[in-house]
Amino acid sequence: MINLNTLTYLFMAIAGVISLIATYLAVLESDLIKAVVFSALQSTVYAILFYLLMAPDIALVYIPVAVGLYPAVVLFLIKKTEKTESESGEVGGDGR
Amino acid sequence: MRIKKILVLGSLIILVLTISLAFNSGALGYYPLPLPGVRLLASWYLYTTLNPQYPVFTAMSPEAVTAIVWDYRGLDTLFETAVFFLAIVGALALMRGISLKVVLDSKNDNSDGGLSLICKTATKILVPLIIAVSASIALHGHLTPGGGFQGGSAAAVAPLLILVIFSVYFLLSKGVSEKPMLVLRTVGLLGIYFTALAAVFIGLFTGLNAYVFQNQPKFNAPVGLPAQISGALISGSLFFFNIFEYLAVAGGFTLVFILLSVPEEIVKSFVSGETHG
Repeated sequence: MINLNTLTYLFMAIAGVISLIATYLAVLESDLIKAVVFSALQSTVYAILFYLLMAPDIALVYIPVAVGLYPAVVLFLIKKTEKTESESGEVGGDGR
Repeated sequence: MRIKKILVLGSLIILVLTISLAFNSGALGYYPLPLPGVRLLASWYLYTTLNPQYPVFTAMSPEAVTAIVWDYRGLDTLFETAVFFLAIVGALALMRGISLKVVLDSKNDNSDGGLSLICKTATKILVPLIIAVSASIALHGHLTPGGGFQGGSAAAVAPLLILVIFSVYFLLSKGVSEKPMLVLRTVGLLGIYFTALAAVFIGLFTGLNAYVFQNQPKFNAPVGLPAQISGALISGSLFFFNIFEYLAVAGGFTLVFILLSVPEEIVKSFVSGETHG
C-alpha cells in the first residue's frame, strides 16, 4: 500500500519534469505556433500542480487564463506578425 | 544554434538544482505540501469564516478564500480589479477609432468563413456548457472554490471559441460587439462600487455607524448585509461582488478579443486614415 503523500509527491515530480521539458521545447522552438502549444502544455501541468498543492481556487483561474486566454492572445498576435523565428533570434528576419 | 541549445539547457538545469537546494535546506519549510496542522492566522480565518457565534468577526461564508478575497482583504481585490480595468482601457486606447460597424460592413463575400462543420457543431454544443459552468463557478463562489474572476475568465472562453471557430463577423452579427461589452463591463464596475458602499447607504438611512466595504455587522457598526435570503446562504456582499466581478471580467476579456481579432488590413486602413496622427 503506497502512502497517499508519496503518491502526491510522485505526481508532483512527474508534473514538474513534464513542465521542465515543455519549457525547454517552448524556448527552443523556432515555429512560434508550436512554441505556444508547448507553453500551454506547461500551463496545463502547472494547473495540476496547483490542484495537488490544495489550491483549487488558483487552479480554477489558472486553467481558463493560462490554457485558454493567454495562448489565444499570443496566437492572435502571431497572426499579425511572422510565424517563425529566424536563426539570429529576431522575429521576421527577412529585412522588414 | 548549438550554443543556444546548450545555454538554454544549462540555465534550466542550474534553475532546477538551485530550487532543489533551496528546498533541501528548508527555504520553504521541510514539508512542501500544506501542513497537517494549520498556522495560527489560517486557523483564525477558518474559525471565524462561517461562525454565527461571533457575529462581529464572521464573514458568513464557508469558502474561506472568497471570504478573504472580498471581505477580510476586500480592498486589495478592489485595486486588483482597478488594474484589470486600466489594462482594458489601455487596449481600447490603442485600438481607438476602429468602428466595428464598419468592420462588419466591410465583409464583402457571403461565405461563412471559419473552420469545418464538425468544429462548428461541437462549438455550438460546448458554448452553452461553458457559460453554464462559468455561471455556477461565479454564483457558487461563496460556497465552493471559485468566484467572480474565475467564473468571468471561464465565460470569456466561450466568445473566444466562437471567434476562432466561426469568425469575428459571426460574433459581431449576433450583436456581441463593442457597445454591449462596454455596458457589461461598466455595469460590473458600478455594481462593485455600489456593493462596497451598500452598508454606508444603509447606515445613512438608519442613522447608524457603518464602514465602506462592510459585510457583516462589526463592533460599533451594527449595520450589515443579510447573510441569507429565505434560508439560502448568500454571505452578504460576497454574492454580489462575485456576480458583478463575473460580468466585468467576462465583458472586458471579450472586448479585448473582439478588438484583437479584427483583420490587420482593416486596422491599418483605420490607422492610416487618421487625420490627426
